[in-house]
Amino acid sequence: MDVVFLFVMVIGLLLIGVPIAVSLGLSSMIFLLVFSDTSLASVAQSLYQAMAGHYTLLAIPFFILASSFMSTGGVAKRIVRFAIACVGHFHGGLAIAGVFACMIFAALSGSSPATVVAIGSIVIAAMRQMGYTKDFAAGVIANAGTLGILIPPSIVMVVYASATDVSVGRMFLAGVIPGLLAGTMLMLAIYVIARIKKLPKGEWAGWGEIGSAFREAFWGLMLIVIIMVGIYGVPGLTGAIFTPTEAAAVASIYAFLVASFVYRDMGPLADRDGTGPTSLMAKPQALVTAFFHKDTRHTLFDAGKLTIMLMFIIANALILKHVLTDEQIPQQIAQAMLSAGFGKIMFLVMVNVILLIGGQFMEPSGLIVIVAPLVFPIAIELGVDPIHLGIIMVVNMEIGMITPPVGLNLFVTSGVAGMPMMAVVRAALPFLAILFVFLILVTYVPWISTYLPTTLMGPEIITN
Amino acid sequence: MTHTQDKLPQTPMARFFDGLEENIIAGILGVMTLITFVNVVLRYVFNHSLIWGLEVVLILFAWLVLLGISYGFKKTSHLGVDAVINMLPSRGQRVLAIISAIACLAYAGLLMKGAWDYWAPFAALQPTEGRWFPLGFTENVRDRAFYVTDQVPMLGIFRWLEDAINYGDSYDKLPRVVPYAILPFSAALILLRVVQATIRILQGKQHSLIVSHEAEDEVERVAHGEYEE
Repeated sequence: MDVVFLFVMVIGLLLIGVPIAVSLGLSSMIFLLVFSDTSLASVAQSLYQAMAGHYTLLAIPFFILASSFMSTGGVAKRIVRFAIACVGHFHGGLAIAGVFACMIFAALSGSSPATVVAIGSIVIAAMRQMGYTKDFAAGVIANAGTLGILIPPSIVMVVYASATDVSVGRMFLAGVIPGLLAGTMLMLAIYVIARIKKLPKGEWAGWGEIGSAFREAFWGLMLIVIIMVGIYGVPGLTGAIFTPTEAAAVASIYAFLVASFVYRDMGPLADRDGTGPTSLMAKPQALVTAFFHKDTRHTLFDAGKLTIMLMFIIANALILKHVLTDEQIPQQIAQAMLSAGFGKIMFLVMVNVILLIGGQFMEPSGLIVIVAPLVFPIAIELGVDPIHLGIIMVVNMEIGMITPPVGLNLFVTSGVAGMPMMAVVRAALPFLAILFVFLILVTYVPWISTYLPTTLMGPEIITN
Repeated sequence: MTHTQDKLPQTPMARFFDGLEENIIAGILGVMTLITFVNVVLRYVFNHSLIWGLEVVLILFAWLVLLGISYGFKKTSHLGVDAVINMLPSRGQRVLAIISAIACLAYAGLLMKGAWDYWAPFAALQPTEGRWFPLGFTENVRDRAFYVTDQVPMLGIFRWLEDAINYGDSYDKLPRVVPYAILPFSAALILLRVVQATIRILQGKQHSLIVSHEAEDEVERVAHGEYEE
């Protein structure tokens, strides 16, 4: 029953407004000092090793940085233009284009709030001008933004892979079909609503516009190619070129070069006085100064700060995870569930319920670090594919991000749409229903998640 | 998401330290990215790599996060659950804020002791006695000053450590005392920032220890010029 005490302490501290990381860390420290002979020194060591000992987690700061460079506005604007050129002429076209743009941006960035901020700040304003209601616009973007963690790359998947020792590359591949499916479901729903409510449709601008919008967005879209080709290689020609962590670092450098020298939305060549960006020929010293420019420093700082907030939580969640594994809690739970005669389906339903409740209060990465080691051994015992389990968890986290009280996407959407939180919650509700249907689909049809990784990388080998 | 409201008046000293910390955070992340990128290029183009690259990046990763935690406490930007506290009257909020401050103080205090106890043997110093609180220094804990990192080369500026803690024996790699030094340093800084935040809460200048989403939205909306209700 010691463990009940531990969890009550964590939840109690969370609810009275203690930072998430401190709630996790302090509860674990007190538990260790009272119930075991572990010393504080080894807690400090765990905290240090959470970063220095986890090569996989190193991908997080780099993916955050790449997405920060891409979020400077210019890239998002070009992606939105491309999306509108492709699907803008349908009924509800702008909303469908918003979802499409979120899907593309999700493939550049590993985070949902970043996707909402980048795409939402452009699309929501445009939708209101076209005569959509503010609620509809905010609801669409809050939901479509959650695809950020399902479509690879994804920070939450990196955390899951690190917590359970599955391959990041496999997890990323597994997210492709579910991501496309969820996006398509959202777009279809919007189309149906648009036909019923007679929402405005845009003009078909012709293939020329698609072509020129694509050329504009090309450098941004190339980032997807760099990440995917880097991690998986060119099919039939090469093997993997980088590890996911290296791919993320290369993507950051690429994004920095594109933002500073190609699009020139930031850095020494940016447009400062409305006369358009400066040419590199006119200012060759920019090749050096761009690295120290205040825009670059600012982006690095923002990405660094986000990394710190996230890793502080993950590091403390890892301390809690050590406590749980030392106490053999996962084995005990597994034993209890197996002897109670739980089957695979019942187990997956339980996982969904735990994560949906937990997702209301916890930040996704921290929750995954704690829950994944608890349910992983049971999943293996019951013959659930670890990759399938990972995707189920990620979809649950998506839902957690748009349900109150702690829904990061809700906070950012209310920020970019200029609406009160509760209004965004109501606006997001109809589309949330679609995500629920999607969750059920993903839970019962493992094929959706496992087809691509198994086909391209061979069957998953379970070592432990 | 990156807005933190800081309404306190800024002295030149405070601005200097803000700028310093922000530059360190940005700089460490920049260096981590560059080393990783350069290593990939070296591997493919020159078939060579910096053998210490990965270890240095991982050390910098730990430094970035550990140093940054105290900045987060200073700017009240750590994530938390504010749903419950927002439902309470302001008196209740204040009581809970003080309780959370005590919890953070406890965390920072325990971490400080842990960080010192872990680092001290690597610096040929003595860890503290006691389980919860430091009760004086222990004797005869085995010295770990001879532990070196796996691949990081020894730097000239740290040669003095050989005489100081390693009985004059030369180090062939960077000793672990150097990267691990971030632990006690950061823990002390975290403790300092938490104490300062607690004082601000007691004085009524700050309302909680976690980032407040509601207020942030208001700031955003004012910034966007669409204040409707």
